[in-house]
Amino acid sequence: MPLSVILAKLSQGMATSFAIFSLTLVLSLPLGLVVALIRLRPNRPIQAVTRGYISIMRGTPLMLQLLVVYFSPYYLFGIRLTPDYRFWAVIIAFVLNYAAYFAEIYRGGIESIPVGQHEAAEILGYTKSQAFTRIILPQVVKNILPSVTNEIITLIKDTSIAFAIAVTEMFTIAKAIASAEKTMVSYAIAGLFYYVFNFIVAITMERVEKRLNYYR
Amino acid sequence: MKKNLVLSLMVVLSLLVPVFAVSADGAETLVVGFDQNFPPYGYVGEDGEFTGYDLELAAEVAKRLELEVVYQPIDWDAKDMELDSGTIDLIWNGFTMQGREEKYTWTEPYKEAGQIVLVAVESGIKDFAGLEGKNVSVQADSAGLAALEDEANAELTASFGSLTVVPDYNQAFMDLEAGAVDAIVMDIDVAYFQIEGKEDKYMILEEFVQKEDYGVGFKLGNEELRDKVQEALDEMAEDGFIQDLSNEYFGYDSCTLTACVEAAKSK
Repeated sequence: MPLSVILAKLSQGMATSFAIFSLTLVLSLPLGLVVALIRLRPNRPIQAVTRGYISIMRGTPLMLQLLVVYFSPYYLFGIRLTPDYRFWAVIIAFVLNYAAYFAEIYRGGIESIPVGQHEAAEILGYTKSQAFTRIILPQVVKNILPSVTNEIITLIKDTSIAFAIAVTEMFTIAKAIASAEKTMVSYAIAGLFYYVFNFIVAITMERVEKRLNYYR
Repeated sequence: MKKNLVLSLMVVLSLLVPVFAVSADGAETLVVGFDQNFPPYGYVGEDGEFTGYDLELAAEVAKRLELEVVYQPIDWDAKDMELDSGTIDLIWNGFTMQGREEKYTWTEPYKEAGQIVLVAVESGIKDFAGLEGKNVSVQADSAGLAALEDEANAELTASFGSLTVVPDYNQAFMDLEAGAVDAIVMDIDVAYFQIEGKEDKYMILEEFVQKEDYGVGFKLGNEELRDKVQEALDEMAEDGFIQDLSNEYFGYDSCTLTACVEAAKSK
């Protein structure tokens, strides 16, 4: 197989990997914040629900969650699955999983802000939501960026798990080419793709961090 | 700035949609589940597209049934779930029937595979009994060796004069040519490939050391689709499609369908 074909095939896989990556990120970051806010509510039963959710998502393998999200509509409710659902099942499972991790990161960030700031904001006449969006959240975002970068980088590598439910992302294609061509070249290129992508992510995040570092 | 970012992200995402929008809706497609790491039955071809003996057969069946064929590579361990939930219509993948007879609804076996004994014609060996006291060669760490070490073949293996384990089949053939060994135990497809053009020198014993039948597997009870596929296969056997494709892939007519056998008889 000529190198150009290998590259073209891997790029196709990369497009799928990137689609999983970007959709997961765009959806799980806000969802994680919502979960974190609910988790911080004094209401006990609601707290217990979010706690249970986070505990399950972190306590079971992502691959298992993929299988459950994809196959359970059929096995539990007898709904016939359509081929398009493969991809969306990946997105649902990834978003649910990553939102749980992000929620804990947000929670750590929110709890690290001194209580005094809430009190000061209240005295200055801010409502609770105003205080949160204008004073607390900007600081939280700044503080949690390094941890979020970690998760983002893990996410792009995790996309290779999607083949558990037969979504052919880049690594699956690399494996198929390797077995058909008896060559390790496709693995090397796949590795390079991941690395370059994560390198760009790391640099971008570093820039964002610097930009947000407005107090220095 | 922020708006631009969101906008460009949306553009990128919308461009990606066709990548995963599979055009399949059950009634008009034949979704073939297969392990993409299994040449020559299903694998990535020179041009980067899926190809293979089984996939080409499946494509022809789909054509004759006026369905659109969809190649769906699957995680082999999830094949039962895929089949049960209807995300694939069938498994066509050098799929061994032995031990799975009751788990799937099958077509007739369309191909034999497994471990056979290849001998030099001049050795005069005609069957397993003739192997008694002979020197037999097999490749290290191969399915052939595993078959010989299997309990079912204990008697056969014990009857050999000696069993030589060689690093590769090339060496086994050189030994056979030189007369250092009398027979080689190997995979039937590899054997046919190796003796192509040298049929006067080598022959394959009819008995299998270990035999597997390949069939097309459907969800248990899905006789409707099975019958349709079987019918298309029979048609393909009658007009010689399967035989030609087999010759192309394996260098011999490997078709074991009843229709194939009958077509061969009538010739």
